[in-house]
This record gives sequence, structure tokens and C-alpha cells, in this order.
Amino acid sequence: MWARALAGLLAGFFLAAAVTGLLAWLPPGPWQSAIVPSLIAFIPAWMLAALWAFAFRTGLRAWTWLGGSALAGFALLWLLRANHWVL
Amino acid sequence: MKFSSLTLRTFTTLHTWVGLVAGFALFVAFYAGAITVFHHDLPLWQSPHAMEQPAQTLEDAQRLLDGVLERHPEARRHIGMTFPGAETPQSVAYWQDAKGTWLFAWADQYDGSPTAPQAGLAELVNELHYTLGLPVAGIYLMGMVSLLYGLALLSGLVIHLPKLLGDLFALRPGRNLKQMWQDAHNVIGVLSLPFHLLFAVTGALLCLVFLQMAALNPLIYDGKLLAALPAAMDTAPIRAAAGQPVRPGSLAMLHARAIAVANDQGQARFEPAYLKLANAGDANAVIEITGDGGVSLGPLGAVAMDANTGQVLHTQLPGRRDANHATLAAAYALHFGEYGNGLVPWLYFALGLGGAFLFYSGNLLWIESRRKRRQQEQGRAQVNMARATVGVCIGLCVAVSAAFVSVQLLEHLAPAQADAGMRWTCFLVWGGCALWAALRAPWQAARELLWAAAIVTALIPLVHGGMSGLWLWTSAQRGYWPLFWVDGVALAMAIGFAAMARASSRRALHGEPNSVWSRPSPGNALS
Repeated sequence: MWARALAGLLAGFFLAAAVTGLLAWLPPGPWQSAIVPSLIAFIPAWMLAALWAFAFRTGLRAWTWLGGSALAGFALLWLLRANHWVL
Repeated sequence: MKFSSLTLRTFTTLHTWVGLVAGFALFVAFYAGAITVFHHDLPLWQSPHAMEQPAQTLEDAQRLLDGVLERHPEARRHIGMTFPGAETPQSVAYWQDAKGTWLFAWADQYDGSPTAPQAGLAELVNELHYTLGLPVAGIYLMGMVSLLYGLALLSGLVIHLPKLLGDLFALRPGRNLKQMWQDAHNVIGVLSLPFHLLFAVTGALLCLVFLQMAALNPLIYDGKLLAALPAAMDTAPIRAAAGQPVRPGSLAMLHARAIAVANDQGQARFEPAYLKLANAGDANAVIEITGDGGVSLGPLGAVAMDANTGQVLHTQLPGRRDANHATLAAAYALHFGEYGNGLVPWLYFALGLGGAFLFYSGNLLWIESRRKRRQQEQGRAQVNMARATVGVCIGLCVAVSAAFVSVQLLEHLAPAQADAGMRWTCFLVWGGCALWAALRAPWQAARELLWAAAIVTALIPLVHGGMSGLWLWTSAQRGYWPLFWVDGVALAMAIGFAAMARASSRRALHGEPNSVWSRPSPGNALS
């Protein structure tokens, strides 16, 4: 239980941050015009990520899936911005 | 929807523990929050003769603004002020001094006080709501509690999902009391779920937003978040001072301009509520007037103007604003219940008390499902949980009512001590109730503290009537509705507490034996 809780708390935080980043950068227009919606969305995103951690049998799996998703999210964000596909 | 039994077990454990950890703080947040819905009415109820004072005019507001700007050069950089209106009959100005401390001025008091006028009771209840009354760390604690609350809601939803529709309107009273409590817990939880999710999210946001921005800024906003915030949150553009003094435009002109601009943009109604003024007296002075725009989920909109000429610089009004301002106004209005008509605050009040019930019943269910049905002696953990639930939750109800009674007495007998006295009363009574519950058997403590809550709450309208001469019927006759409703709701709640006290007595004497809530029968006590 504790290993999964920790995965939800930490890996879940970074996953929620990556989702928030995509929400800020993906909509049309500059990211500055989606600051407030993205800041609001971060909270339920973190809650759902933490909840997701408990759907796994072990802490290791939770860490792998949440951490992997967070990395994928940040990689996508980096790719979009490095290629100037988003403003 | 189907889940494996292992998943359901995990989520049940999660729901139980997150609920227990956050439940006490959430009870306080919801009980105090339900009362905070009426925070504009409490100062009127608290201070004698508040209802008889004539409403201020724009000239009074102009005099206050001029007086403060003349005496406090640091207020010229940036100052805020409320317009006299239905919600704030008296204008209040506020600004930061050189050290960054907020100062307040009102009526003919221009010197700048570190506390807002008539903050008293409304502020105490509000502090209980968002900090539990704990200084500094309280707000962050409540932010984390809100996050746990969201987790408890979502995990509760997962557990209940397979039976959600089938059991939605089932309330099974009868022999199996646990079933009835479980049904009540579920139905309130499901029917008010959107409201609760909204509070879990906006509550966490309001408490943690500064930490959140600090953490997310380097991760996703390139470290440029703080520079982008003013444009996202305010309406007025930032203009550097020109260093050239100019005679400012009058408040009456700017007030009328703001209304005319809002009307032009399709707002049939626009009631200026407060202003923000930057670089007052300078050629580049900017004023932002925020007002209630009526029919919108986020009814607050703003008009920014040159403070000297009244030339419009920017607007953010319902229907014509960007995503940042629309979501900010909606999130704010949804948390504080400041949208829709006059029934919305009452709905929030009812849902707030319903939320408090949700956490209270959650603790009762935890105790009930661990009850030893064949013996009188109950587990130590269950007894302690019962004591803590009664002491903290019912104790809080007694303490809040005691604060109402004491502030009303002190306002008439020793006004200078009203604020401190009310706070001491509140926290001493709360501590006393918790101690009482720790020393008595749970079935006794529940009954006694509920009677205490009933009596102290019934004293609210009595002491108010006795001290100010404004009884329920006098307030109704004179049309002092805020006072009538504060006293009337207190009376209704006193009756509610008394009914619960009687129910606890009945349960202790005649309900199923072998429970923390039943009176031990004399024969069994020895065995």
C-alpha cells in the first residue's frame, strides 16, 4: 500500500505536471492564454494519477506505469516545443 | 461496471484510511464553510446598530480614497477599495505599507489598521474553514486535506460504482442500523458528488496555488509563469508611472463610465463591487473596476480605464473574455457560491452541512463495522475513534455557537475585548469538549455534547435579542432580514441538535446492546 501511495504522490505529481504542460501548450494560441485552466486541471490530474497508482498489484508496477507515462508526457512536450509545433 | 475483488478491496482500504485521516479536518471545513456562506450577514449581526447606519454613498468613498492617498504615499503605488453597496455597506480601502503588511482604512479612520473593520466573527469562522484556526501552516494543511478528500471521493466512487444506480434511492431503515447509515452515507455522497469534487479541486487550488505555481514553473512554464500572471489574472495593463502629477478623475465619473462600458458590451446589469488603482495621482494612473455582471457562471467582470480621463484600456466581461479570465471567474464563483440567484447560498449551506454529515457518518461506519456484537467490551481503537469523533466534531459545533454567544455579549459589555474574547471562548470550549469526550464513555459524551450544542445554539437568538433588543419578530417587523435569518437558522439548528441528542439517548438506552453507543446494562458490567 505504501509503495503505491508513494508512487501516486511522486510519480503521480510528475505525470500530472506533464498532463498540465500538454494542456497549457497544445490548445491554439500561446501557452499564456491557458494558464488558469491548466493550473486548475493540475489538481484533478494529480488526484486521478494517485488513484491510478492503486489500481496496480505492486508498488513496482505502479512506479513503472506512472513514471513511464510521466516521461512519455514530458518527451512529447519537449518534442512539440523543440520542433516549434506549439507556441 | 465490474472490478476485480482485489481492486475493490484496495480501494476500500484507501477510502477508509484517507477518509479517516482527512475526515476530522473536513468536518470542520464543511461546518464552518456552511456558515461562511453568510459571511456578509455576520458582521451586521455582530455589531450593534449596524443595520441602522445609512448606506454610504460614492462621495463617502471618494473622501476615504482621497484621505488615504493623502496620508499614505505607499498606497499611491497600489490601492484597493470596495464600493459601498448591498454586500459591503461601508467602503473599506486596503494597501500594503513599505514592509508589505496589508493595512485597512474605513469611514473616518484613515490611519491604516492591520485588521479589517468588523472582521470579528465572520473572520473567525472563515479561518476555521480554511485553516482550522491554525496560524501559518493551517492553510497548507487544509490544501493537503483537500487533495486527500479528492482521493477519498474518487475511491469511494469506484467502490460504490457497481451498486450505484441500484442503491441510489435505497434508504433502508430498520433493524440493520449499519445498512441505514451506509445508505445515507452513499446517497448523500452520490447526489452531492459534483459539488464535492468541485470543492476538493477548488479548495486544494485556493490553499496550494502558490506552492503549485512554484513547483510547476520550471517544469512546464519555462520559468516564465510569474511574468505572464498579471495578464492572465488582472484586467488592467501595467503602465509605468510617468512621474508627472495630474488631477485624477472622480470616482463618480469612473463608476458611471464602468457601468456604461459594461452596458455597451451587453451586460444589462453591472454593479461595481471593488476597484484597484495603480499609480494614483500620476499621469499614467490606471483603475480597474470589478463588478457583478449578473447572468453568468462567473458573474464578476472588470473594466480597466485610465484613472484620469476614464479612457477604456481593457475589459474582461462575461461573454467577451479570454479563457484565463472566464475559468478564473467561474472557479471563484463556484467555490464561494457567488452566482445564480438568492437560493444558491442556501443550497451551499445545505450541501455544506450535508458534507459535514458525510464525514461524521464515515467515522460512525468505521466504528460500526468493527463492532463486537457478542460482548459488551468494545475494542480500544473503536472507543477512541468514537471519543475523537464526538469530541472534535460535536465539540466544534458547541465552540462555534459559543463564539456567536460570547461575541454578542462582549460587543455590548466590553467591545474592546470582543475579538480576543470570542477567539478564546471558541478554542477553550472546543478543547474542553474534546477533553470531556476523552474522559466520558462515548454514549454519554455524545448525548451530553449534543445537549450542550442545542443549549448554546439556542442561546444565540436569545442573547442577541436580550442584548440588542432585536428579537426574531422585531427583526422581521423592521425588515432586518440578515439578522432574522442568523437568529432563525440558529434556532432551527438548536432544535436539530436537541433531536439528535434525544436520538442518542434513545439509542443508548433502548438500542442494540454491545456497542460503544449503548449504555452498559448493570448486570453485564461485572461479568
